[in-house]
Amino acid sequence: MQGGFAGRILHVDLSRRKVGTWPLASNLAESFIGGLGLSFRLAHDYITPGTDPLAPENPVVIGAGPLVGTDLPSTSRIYAVTKLPTSGTIGWCGAGGVTFGCLFKNAGYDHLIIEGRADRPVYLNIVDDRVEILDAQKLWGKGVSETCETLWDEVSGPAGVLAIGPAGENRVSFSLAYIDRSATMGRGGFGAVLGAKNLKAIMVRGTKGVGVADRKTYKRLKTDFLQTIQSYPYLKEWQDMGMLKAFPMVPPETYKKIKKRRLACISCPVGCKDVVEIADGPHKGLVAYSSSAINLLTPLMYGFKDYRDAVKLIAELDEYGMDMFEFFGVAALAAKLGEHGSIQGINIALDDLNAMMEWAEKISFRKGLGDVMADGFSGMINAYGDAAKTYAPALVKNMHPYTGPGSALPWDLFGTMELGQILDLRGPHVGSGGSPTYFAKRPLEVFPKHLKRMGVPEAAISRILPESDESKQLNVGILLKYSHQWFSILGSLGVCARGQINRFYNAGLCADFYKAVTGIPTDLDELSLRADRVWNLYKLLNVREGVDRSRESIPDQWVQAPGFKEYVSETPISRDEILRMIKDYYREQGWDFETGYPSPETLSRLGLESLG
Amino acid sequence: MAGYDIITLEENCTGCLRCQLACSYLYTGLFNPSAARIQVRFSGTGCAIDFTDECNHCGVCADSCFYDALKKVKREDDE
Repeated sequence: MQGGFAGRILHVDLSRRKVGTWPLASNLAESFIGGLGLSFRLAHDYITPGTDPLAPENPVVIGAGPLVGTDLPSTSRIYAVTKLPTSGTIGWCGAGGVTFGCLFKNAGYDHLIIEGRADRPVYLNIVDDRVEILDAQKLWGKGVSETCETLWDEVSGPAGVLAIGPAGENRVSFSLAYIDRSATMGRGGFGAVLGAKNLKAIMVRGTKGVGVADRKTYKRLKTDFLQTIQSYPYLKEWQDMGMLKAFPMVPPETYKKIKKRRLACISCPVGCKDVVEIADGPHKGLVAYSSSAINLLTPLMYGFKDYRDAVKLIAELDEYGMDMFEFFGVAALAAKLGEHGSIQGINIALDDLNAMMEWAEKISFRKGLGDVMADGFSGMINAYGDAAKTYAPALVKNMHPYTGPGSALPWDLFGTMELGQILDLRGPHVGSGGSPTYFAKRPLEVFPKHLKRMGVPEAAISRILPESDESKQLNVGILLKYSHQWFSILGSLGVCARGQINRFYNAGLCADFYKAVTGIPTDLDELSLRADRVWNLYKLLNVREGVDRSRESIPDQWVQAPGFKEYVSETPISRDEILRMIKDYYREQGWDFETGYPSPETLSRLGLESLG
Repeated sequence: MAGYDIITLEENCTGCLRCQLACSYLYTGLFNPSAARIQVRFSGTGCAIDFTDECNHCGVCADSCFYDALKKVKREDDE
């Protein structure tokens, strides 16, 4: 392989304590692009249908795409593919790679496949060709930050660390993995999957370098591209405020009081990650690392009055290693069950720091009722039956969507992220697939520009946009198909899909960069076809698991007042309208709406017959 | 010896390592942060930026910085 790819797959069998490497087949790389796409392809080989997500047999496939490790902006993403415990589906878990992705590539690997279960807590220590499975007894029970710091203290120079906290160790269904203590990975219980393997952390260092096949073209493309970014008028504002620019949850002066440093994943010109330090009050001196300051402030949306208390709680949740939305959702359900007498003798005050700290600890270590809550909404419904169903929020694949009625984020327009909660096999997550419907409402006039950028064919653009001034409805179903295609391109290359970065990229440029870096002949049509292949394989992986259309049910709360609203007209959306979007999505994908399977013609077009 | 002083403003550094990527690519032909002549180190909330003895002050690191953590200043004796 000429460039971009390290050319090797690392395989670790924790049960047998064996480590091996083998070459990455160039035909597979070409067919599935790399990163996310190749992780799906490897998962197809390694996941046995019907495997329990927390069984040793459930493999974890981690991948870093061919642009990861280069200096193209924001090319640090890593992805994991595994069977997730909350949804029971095979899902992708993504994270800004911080240093991990680049150093993993520099160690000489594109993918890591982890199988089995260690007989006691371990961590992986990867230093170029040296891969060790080391005892992690000293780390077990430690928080995410403490784990990272302990491992960093043992080495000189930079090391990427992927780690779980006690919530993952104790298989909490909404536990996450963290990269370099600041990027979260794997809503749906990725932390629990690693915890069930007794795998506390992966530390990686590398010195091999990442090459470029066609340096001359790369330089030309990159020079123009960097000029575009540097001339973006809001770049400094993004760098200064991070995600608070989009979600001003606290006034800028409050943020400035706690802002310690902004952090970036390797190669990123935006740097959306935050280090904050509480300047005064009872938590004075508390330092917190996060994917974004807005995450640290999320408890304000659940009634917290003091931003310092909010930071304190989320810093604690991050140490335990669990998802804040699911934590608050499950806690709110338990509170309601307490109020209505289904659970005796509990009082859960969602706006009280001490109370929520106590519940975070009980859930992480599965103490008392925390043991039930640790199994998420499905655990609560199993334990409290109809009462729990009555008071549960809208659920999709056993999880709490970020947006919509009763959700944390005050956003009620129905775009690709909202429909994607149902149609992405992994279930709810933040992300629109890079489409322009992500949060801030954009005027329709800017849609054609963004759709062209995403590689949406002209014929499809006319079907996505409202046909006339009277109709004023956006075809979110068709748009979502192309959002998934765009996301497949970005994820397989290793480019960040966040709106403030993917806005600079376009599909044609991605094809050009891919060709220049890897030397693999590629144009826009070919890259789009491969991206389609990637998303269809994701579908096939789940079809093989028996995941059918029954998992795509529309929550009642979404179509009852106050409910969701149509993206353009802002009129209440009906179940039939959402159903029509789902049908449109299936038709555009070339999938059978009745069976939920990709049609034979689609599989033939994509060359996936043998994997179907 | 190339003609720039590299001014470091560590408080602006985000750890994106674009400087190390650019340096290593220029001098080794590969993106390899460990081989760069500039090394950024984070410890806690702090950041330290150092240069190896091999650094010839070419300024490619400063050219690649998006955060104003590195600035290159032309040396007077080279003008």
